Amino acid sequence: MMVEFGDEFEFQPDVSMPTVKSFTTEATRMDFWRFTDHEKARELGGLPGAIVPGIMSQGILAAAIHRFLPGSTIRKIDTIFRAPLLVDSSPTARGVVTHVDEEEGTAEIDLTLVNEAGETPVLGTAVVEVARAE
Amino acid sequence: MDVEELKTRFVGEEFDSTEFEVKPADALAFARCCGETDPRYSDPRHPEYQAPPTFMTRFHGRRTMPEEFPEEYFQGSFDGGKTVIAHAPIPVGATLVGTSQIADVYRKTGRSGSMTFLVHRMEYRNQEGEPISTVDWKLIRKDEA
Repeated sequence: MMVEFGDEFEFQPDVSMPTVKSFTTEATRMDFWRFTDHEKARELGGLPGAIVPGIMSQGILAAAIHRFLPGSTIRKIDTIFRAPLLVDSSPTARGVVTHVDEEEGTAEIDLTLVNEAGETPVLGTAVVEVARAE
Repeated sequence: MDVEELKTRFVGEEFDSTEFEVKPADALAFARCCGETDPRYSDPRHPEYQAPPTFMTRFHGRRTMPEEFPEEYFQGSFDGGKTVIAHAPIPVGATLVGTSQIADVYRKTGRSGSMTFLVHRMEYRNQEGEPISTVDWKLIRKDEA
């Protein structure tokens, strides 16, 4: 297989306000102030600022897998939202391969979204069917 | 109503069925905003073009909970996470049928006290009834001490 136990990958997703606004208006219909307005999120929501929708964080982790393993197929992805991921922050999406099943052609991957402070507001796991080399 | 009663009365009961269109512009924007670079999700000209595997998380049924469910029970709860099982590619432009059920209710006790978890499940099928995607949404309520 084109993946081995212990393989690691990462990428820097774009969680800027314009991208989050695009996600909440064009990709979904979730145009709520907690996602798109820092001031209201602070004043009305008691949050540190506008937060990235959880389903966008999950989509970012799925994209991270596809960037690492182009042509692979995610069979299952499980994400836990532990704390808010802030809009306009600079997180890193990371993954590490924790198990490879050569017979099944699948890999299990641990996933995290880590913020600038080194905290992990979003984490998860995925089972991926890996594209076989021609 | 306690956890065991919620479980007995509501778990496994299908309480909503709604049709959802996988709109091409929405699927493309979802892929772009999440940073998808795999052309199967980012390029409509690709022969295997499809919506990203977590795309169905964006939909909700007409009802979030069963009619008789004590909704105040989970007021003030928070979104604990999502699990997606991809059974088949999500066809762009198709209309899928999503059915809703409460898959589980359970309590956990840890260092920070007791919490109740509710797993809300939506199962999406195509017009032929074939499974496309299962989305579990975990709602968490911190129990009173």
